[in-house]
Amino acid sequence: MHDTADSRELSEFPLEELAACHECDLLMRRPHLGDGERAECPRCGYELFSYRHSVVPRSLALVLAALLFYVPANFLPIMQLNLLGQTTQDTVWSGVLALYHSGMGGVAVLVFLCSMGIPLLKLLCQLFVLLSIRLDIGRSYGLLFYRIYQHLREWGMLEVYLMSTLVAIVKLVDLAEVNLGIGLACFVGLLLTQIWLEVTMSPQQIWEALAGKEDSLARN
Amino acid sequence: MRAIDAGILICHECHQLNRHDPEAHGQTCSRCGARVHPRRPDSLARTWALLITAAILYVPANLLPIMTVNSLGKGAPSTIMGGVVELIHFGMWPIAAVVFVASILVPTFKLVGIALLLFSVQRHQPMSAQQRILMYRFIEWIGRWSMIDIFVIAILVALVRFGNLASIEANMGAVAFASVVVLTMLAAITFDPRLIWDNTESDEQA
Repeated sequence: MHDTADSRELSEFPLEELAACHECDLLMRRPHLGDGERAECPRCGYELFSYRHSVVPRSLALVLAALLFYVPANFLPIMQLNLLGQTTQDTVWSGVLALYHSGMGGVAVLVFLCSMGIPLLKLLCQLFVLLSIRLDIGRSYGLLFYRIYQHLREWGMLEVYLMSTLVAIVKLVDLAEVNLGIGLACFVGLLLTQIWLEVTMSPQQIWEALAGKEDSLARN
Repeated sequence: MRAIDAGILICHECHQLNRHDPEAHGQTCSRCGARVHPRRPDSLARTWALLITAAILYVPANLLPIMTVNSLGKGAPSTIMGGVVELIHFGMWPIAAVVFVASILVPTFKLVGIALLLFSVQRHQPMSAQQRILMYRFIEWIGRWSMIDIFVIAILVALVRFGNLASIEANMGAVAFASVVVLTMLAAITFDPRLIWDNTESDEQA
């Protein structure tokens, strides 16, 4: 190891001047970043920090937009099917109900959580966190909600659901007449705002703001 | 140098650095209050347990029908592979490829891939850390896409409700398949990627 002299010193730095990679445990000096800059782990390439300009107001706008899309996306028809004069409709919610009524309770719960429950919970957690930073109230609850959000992240599967809609359309299009509904447009809107929001809300900045560090607040 | 060697623990949840306090039982993060550990506790054992359960359920998931298409009084059960073959018959090659990758290749790749990661961490197999971390990230990222088939069933069951003319119902294969997807996702989460680098360092020093 070429940097043994350096590394013996590393452990003596105060924690604020150090950074460690969450994925490979490499310890290093904390880089000083300006707005719009990001840092990656030199060993495994994991993104360590990324600082963006005015994160809180931009994220708040995106959360509110996503919440506006949420209800129409889930309760308005995604598509209609015509077969010999009979018409049926499908919404995200009706898919859950249909599975439940066909005796697949467990799968229905899973579909509900991944496509409706967890995406909503994630948005509500983000809203609460952003409000608690913005209005400077309930920071400790903000920390708790942001921890919950980090655990839920992976289980919201809106983009997978959209792909499934595409597969279902292809499967049905030869058998019957398929009409796309307004719900699908809202669902795409919800998905896009949610992805944009996840890119905008850089976790390191949010954690620092929640912990009440002055310099990170100034950036926001 | 690893953070653990400097007596520094990283919080799993907020990535804050904490000085390790050997006296404290159940040390918590100074910023967010989560429990901090040098490494995720029993990472290997837990990941193996989840992986083996998933491997057992993988068999019924592929053999049992995931849904039955009832048309004019005749019921045609279809398995996951059956759905792919049907799409190929329609000539929908791109979509057939997506479903084949998401429902057949990905679950298989995940089972084999996580087993390989665990094996290489335990046995110090000659696989570079770079290869292993790439595989880990790929497995972590792709896992969710296997849910495609489950969502498709939900959509079809809700849409195709024309009484005796045509209807679709879900079957037990879907339960097994959904369990495989959830279990392999959990296995990817319990696996601690830092173990990959831990034994790379001990290998280098040896």
